[in-house]
Amino acid sequence: MSIAAINEQLLRAIGVGVALLDMETLRFRFYNDTFREWFGDIEINRHLTDLFAGFDAEALQAALTSEGRFTTETTFRLRRRTMTLALAFNRALEKDEAIAVLVCQNISRIKELESMIDSYSMMVERNTREIKREKEQVEKLLLNMMPRSVYEEYKSFGVVTPRLYPSVSVMTIDFADFDRIAGSLDAGVVASELGDLFGAFDRIGEQFGIERIKGIGDIHFSVAGVPDASEDHVFAIANTAVRILRYLGQRNESHPNKWHARIACASGAVIGSVVGTGRYVYDVFGPAVSVARRLRNAYGEPMAIMADATFAKALDDRFLVEPVEQSEPVFRVTEQLAAARGRAV
Amino acid sequence: MLDVTTRTRIGDKAAWLGREGVPMQKSLFEKYGGFSVISKIVLDLYDRLLDDDDVGPFFDEVEMARIVDHQTKFVSSLMGGPASYTDDQIEKMHARLTITNAHFDTLQGILRQTLLDHSVSDEDAEAIIALFEERRKLVVE
Repeated sequence: MSIAAINEQLLRAIGVGVALLDMETLRFRFYNDTFREWFGDIEINRHLTDLFAGFDAEALQAALTSEGRFTTETTFRLRRRTMTLALAFNRALEKDEAIAVLVCQNISRIKELESMIDSYSMMVERNTREIKREKEQVEKLLLNMMPRSVYEEYKSFGVVTPRLYPSVSVMTIDFADFDRIAGSLDAGVVASELGDLFGAFDRIGEQFGIERIKGIGDIHFSVAGVPDASEDHVFAIANTAVRILRYLGQRNESHPNKWHARIACASGAVIGSVVGTGRYVYDVFGPAVSVARRLRNAYGEPMAIMADATFAKALDDRFLVEPVEQSEPVFRVTEQLAAARGRAV
Repeated sequence: MLDVTTRTRIGDKAAWLGREGVPMQKSLFEKYGGFSVISKIVLDLYDRLLDDDDVGPFFDEVEMARIVDHQTKFVSSLMGGPASYTDDQIEKMHARLTITNAHFDTLQGILRQTLLDHSVSDEDAEAIIALFEERRKLVVE
């Protein structure tokens, strides 16, 4: 077999489509087997545009004449498969005759892969967005359970170090006669009333930088000076307490359900920590908490603020502090202005 | 004075792993090497479905990008990858097609063979086929 014959065999058999065209007329002179596989039997001398409708023959000829090269892509269906071929035309000379060599590479797989990557990246992006949304919801939930600075510590280190706060003020509130009133109302009404009241308490407290730690049933419990130390924690709590009573007084005047809060305040040390492993919650506990709870239970009066000695002594003349005349130092706290008007608040 | 020396952990690492102490099972998608391996299964399946004269004609009028998109999501969702079709979506997508049990069986056979040819274990292939089978009622007329 001659070299020319071997060359022709090779040319016929390779997986690249090859065709030779007369450069001037753009008519087919030769094509190999792969080319035939894709485009079917083409009569020799057929014009290129018979095969590729809408092909810009002028642009091709101009490019071949100037640069000697022209590339483009074509897409068509072969059976039910979408084929994409990259076409490269190159100028060549054969026995002084100018011919164009057309080389076609099958890039269908690349196109399919591109589509798959598009599809996959869209899925991943959507998932990422969903994960981000979920993360935000989890964060929101956690922020309901702990102060932001505690949450930040948890997020960074996976643990929260329990901290001792030597000087803070705590306030605990419940409602006089709660069980009787709650028993006479619809459960849904009780829940929404409590939600309403606690929401208002929280908003008042926020103005003075105090943090609600928890609500258990009708007991509302908040603290000033945790987790960020504050010098005026006593006043933050005292101001919140008197405003809560003022708010309740106004609300009771116009509302069918009357709630009479019993407030107790105490100052002292607490520990702030996340407690528990499952269903964990940020909590504070310690002497100040115990004292406040005991004062509320033992000395709580409807629409009055009770305080321990440490708390009471830290107040200034904007507040009236009266001993409750019990065996232990317990004080009733009122606003000077309200006291002058002869009202409880 | 109170003495605070201990550190408390919030939760336990196990809390992130589903049941306490038991790591969540890896999805088949991860087990078989994620997208880089799954992509080969997807393209192979694409070839086989188009070449099949029984189910291939369903794709006659469908754009390549759409077929590939569906196949990618189809395989990903069956193998626990980052895609999931709701029953409602599957039903709507196939509503206009007249798909018989025989068509469904053919596709199932092609899917099984493709998975096995890509070294998916018999057991895992059957698990995937079982998930596929669950969708039969949504697409067969």
